[in-house]
Amino acid sequence: MSDELRAVTTLDRLIHEPARLLIVTILSSIASADFLFLQRETGLTKGNLSAHLSKLEAAEYVKIEKTFKGKLPLTICKLTSAGQKALKVYRQQLQSFIDQTS
Amino acid sequence: MKADFSEVEQRVKRYWYVDGFGELVGGGGMCLILAIYFAAGEYFGAETFFGGILQASMVLVLLGGIVLVRRLVIAAKQRVTYPRTGYVEYSEPKNKVVASVLSAAVGVVVAVTFVFIIRQFNKIDALVAISGAVMGVVLFVKQVWTAKVKRFYILSAMALIFGTVLSVSGFPRGYNLGLFYALMSLSFAISGGLTLKKYLDENPLQTEP
Repeated sequence: MSDELRAVTTLDRLIHEPARLLIVTILSSIASADFLFLQRETGLTKGNLSAHLSKLEAAEYVKIEKTFKGKLPLTICKLTSAGQKALKVYRQQLQSFIDQTS
Repeated sequence: MKADFSEVEQRVKRYWYVDGFGELVGGGGMCLILAIYFAAGEYFGAETFFGGILQASMVLVLLGGIVLVRRLVIAAKQRVTYPRTGYVEYSEPKNKVVASVLSAAVGVVVAVTFVFIIRQFNKIDALVAISGAVMGVVLFVKQVWTAKVKRFYILSAMALIFGTVLSVSGFPRGYNLGLFYALMSLSFAISGGLTLKKYLDENPLQTEP
């Protein structure tokens, strides 16, 4: 097996998880979004989305700001430059694997 | 085969149009301002004091209108859309300069082509035909082609049809332009209103039990 094919094993597993891949893909095309928007777009439950965002925040792929709008809490999520770079590398690796195998 | 992420990205970008406020307040409002502006210009006449003021204030009306409708759209979204389906802040496009230059070039080419064609016929009101063509092409390129919002096909076609039909109507030029923008304002308002109704039906405001 070629090294290029084996490279698929080095895919960033933090991003490779489907729910987190969807979150970072959504955030990559905008400046920022709130928790409600991400929940509706991904279809995840509050707890599930919160857990995935926490993992992405811990890896410094996503920056989360908790504020208030009036009396309502507002959670704004933004993809960091590290997150953008990680997604770009992930896409390149995945595309390379698809090109090799199709 | 291609690892295609573009559908997710397009979907997120289309979120701006999901509530219809862009058309209802933005398109409808801006066209209404222009309709009143051109009709008033024709009513007062170019040689009168008010007519002169109106002609001199064209740029102010345009810029002021754009700023006003943009603020109204954002205010409407903050009150209606963001509490229902969430808040999104869009990033500045990377190729903003290229896109602007390209749009301007397309507009100039369309305008020059129409002037050339329309000069062959004396009775055709060139200004309204050009307005219709430019609006039709801009709507098509910006909204249908770039953002893939299909209802703008109809609005784009309507701009072309209204421009063409009114160009041979024989009305005075100011009223003709006023009528064109009034019809487009109505079209935008109907399209935006229907989209907003559908959006509100599908996304009721969540209240605490």
